[in-house]
Amino acid sequence: MRDPNAIDFWRGLALVTIFINHVPGNTFERYTYSQYGISDAAELFVFLAGWSIGIATRGRDGHPEPRGRTVIRLLSRTIEVYRAQLTVMLLALASIAGTALVLDNPLILEWHNAGTFFADPIQTIVGVALLTHQLGFFNILPLYVVLLGIAPVFVLIARESRTAALVFSGGLYLLSLIEEWNLPSWPGEGDWFFNPLCWQFLLVLGFVLQDWNRESDTLARWSRRLMPAGVALVLFGIALAVLEIRPDPLRVPEPRLLFTFDKTYLTPARLIHFLGVLLAFRAVYGFLAPRIGPVAGYLARLGRNSLAVFSMGSLLSLGGQLLRFWTGGGLLIDLTILCLGLLAMGFTAWFVEWRSRKPRPRV
Amino acid sequence: MALPQTAPPGLRPLLVAALLFAAASARAEEPAPQPVPRPAPTVISPPTSAEAGDASLSPECRVPGSQLYTLAKLRAVKAALKEKRPVRVLSIGGISAGLGASATYPVKLETALERSLPDVDVEVEARGLQGEIASGAAERLRSMVAELEPDLVVWQVGTHDALARVELSAFSDALDDTVRWIKSHDIDVVLVDPQYTASLADDAYYNDVVRTVREIAAREHVPLVQRYEAMRYLAGRADKGEGHMLGRQFRLNDLGLRCMAEHVTRAITLSLLQQEGGSREAPAQQAGQPAPSR
Repeated sequence: MRDPNAIDFWRGLALVTIFINHVPGNTFERYTYSQYGISDAAELFVFLAGWSIGIATRGRDGHPEPRGRTVIRLLSRTIEVYRAQLTVMLLALASIAGTALVLDNPLILEWHNAGTFFADPIQTIVGVALLTHQLGFFNILPLYVVLLGIAPVFVLIARESRTAALVFSGGLYLLSLIEEWNLPSWPGEGDWFFNPLCWQFLLVLGFVLQDWNRESDTLARWSRRLMPAGVALVLFGIALAVLEIRPDPLRVPEPRLLFTFDKTYLTPARLIHFLGVLLAFRAVYGFLAPRIGPVAGYLARLGRNSLAVFSMGSLLSLGGQLLRFWTGGGLLIDLTILCLGLLAMGFTAWFVEWRSRKPRPRV
Repeated sequence: MALPQTAPPGLRPLLVAALLFAAASARAEEPAPQPVPRPAPTVISPPTSAEAGDASLSPECRVPGSQLYTLAKLRAVKAALKEKRPVRVLSIGGISAGLGASATYPVKLETALERSLPDVDVEVEARGLQGEIASGAAERLRSMVAELEPDLVVWQVGTHDALARVELSAFSDALDDTVRWIKSHDIDVVLVDPQYTASLADDAYYNDVVRTVREIAAREHVPLVQRYEAMRYLAGRADKGEGHMLGRQFRLNDLGLRCMAEHVTRAITLSLLQQEGGSREAPAQQAGQPAPSR
């Protein structure tokens, strides 16, 4: 297993943040950074995924691996994430249905989009397999499946020209914003919660920046210089979030998605704010890591095993939501959910690493 | 005008029972008026003749008007009608269980609306809204409204916030803000409060959520479909003492949903009619105050 590093650390922090934010109304929500800016942990997660693709598709010496292998690698990862999504969906729906039965409470079946499944199982099971039916709080993995699925295109273009990859990706992003393109939901009406046509830009940005950063120190130099701008953006984001200032989507000029703070479409304001966060915090890991050794180690371990930890975390946060509903919540319950969640996520990461070290049992 | 009955075979006995109840209801007692919905999970008596279920509804959906809606003006819909252009409706909110129900709800709503507003083209778009109004979902609702620019938003609200047990004040403020925002853009709103379920009948927090929706509808002068009261009423009527946990309530849920398109349509139609009569700004029938029964 690789040693703790900044990428895994930040990814681990994003995982913990997503876990806490996915138990809405809980006491600790207000202590996560998502509450104090325009962008949130989802941006961090997707950007780091792109950055990691850059690392994974090259050898230690920096030479790109053969094209075919990259395509197979990404395809295999796509299947892995798809499988995780199906498992998580099944367990989530079963938890919701089980809780509704135990508490004798059909209201729970209406939990964030689950009602469609219980009302129209024939259509919806098809939608689940097609990823066009998503539960609330369970929509990052479907995005991730699509992003990984289309990643080979961008990775291979970037092998020829990073600029071409960036232009292609950015063009798709802008067009989707202007034309309001998104993938459809089905059987329910509407669109995907995370629009892959827009979010792919962040993934490609992560990938291209990693690639650039590996080749020259221009990026590092410039990001050092621009750090004050990043801090200013972060402070501005805090002010907007605390004062609850945001543009009114019916008052902004057309095309309105260029001006709103929309999460579905990863609108430019969110993207710019996120880049500000990157600039402001890029050096923080180096400063923090020696001082908070065990915490950094814990978060990095989560980050190293992000798919398993994310899947487990999303089920844990659903469990936390249901527990809060059942018990009525309160500080003690919230604290229990937080501690159990952090422990279980840590255990998941440890377990995955333990299992991969162990020789497979012969059956 | 009677609406088509699309009851699946399994519900026919229930229908028959409902009809029998309606026929034999003359001697039954009126349920006591309750200013705040803190209902006991007891059986509610069938309607009296004075407060009989609204006859324009399908028999299985008949609920006395006072327990079904409060009315208020719908200026934007009115304007669309006057300009003889299609009325665009955005239906937002959770979808409850009931076989085949969720896919058909928007269609049903559209059909029911077109039936009760002859010669008017109604276009219903439905969107689920994930997340809590108190944290984030209100923002997404704004985006949806901006994207579709409807004349009317029919908003089933409160379920997710109740499930997350968010702070009441946060829910209340966010809901009030959002309703005011929609209205400020000359778009009408009809609120639909959360569903009734026996296991939460005594849950003070849940009842507070229902009451909050009601208060905000009154404060902002928007029509309200009292889904909670309507389902409670139907629950009382349909109660056959089935004890199994998979029995009564899961079916009731289904009934509540199938009736909802009709209930929402009724509230919209009456709100429009009330305007034609040049009535007052205040809702004609206030929440929780049944019309005089004699």
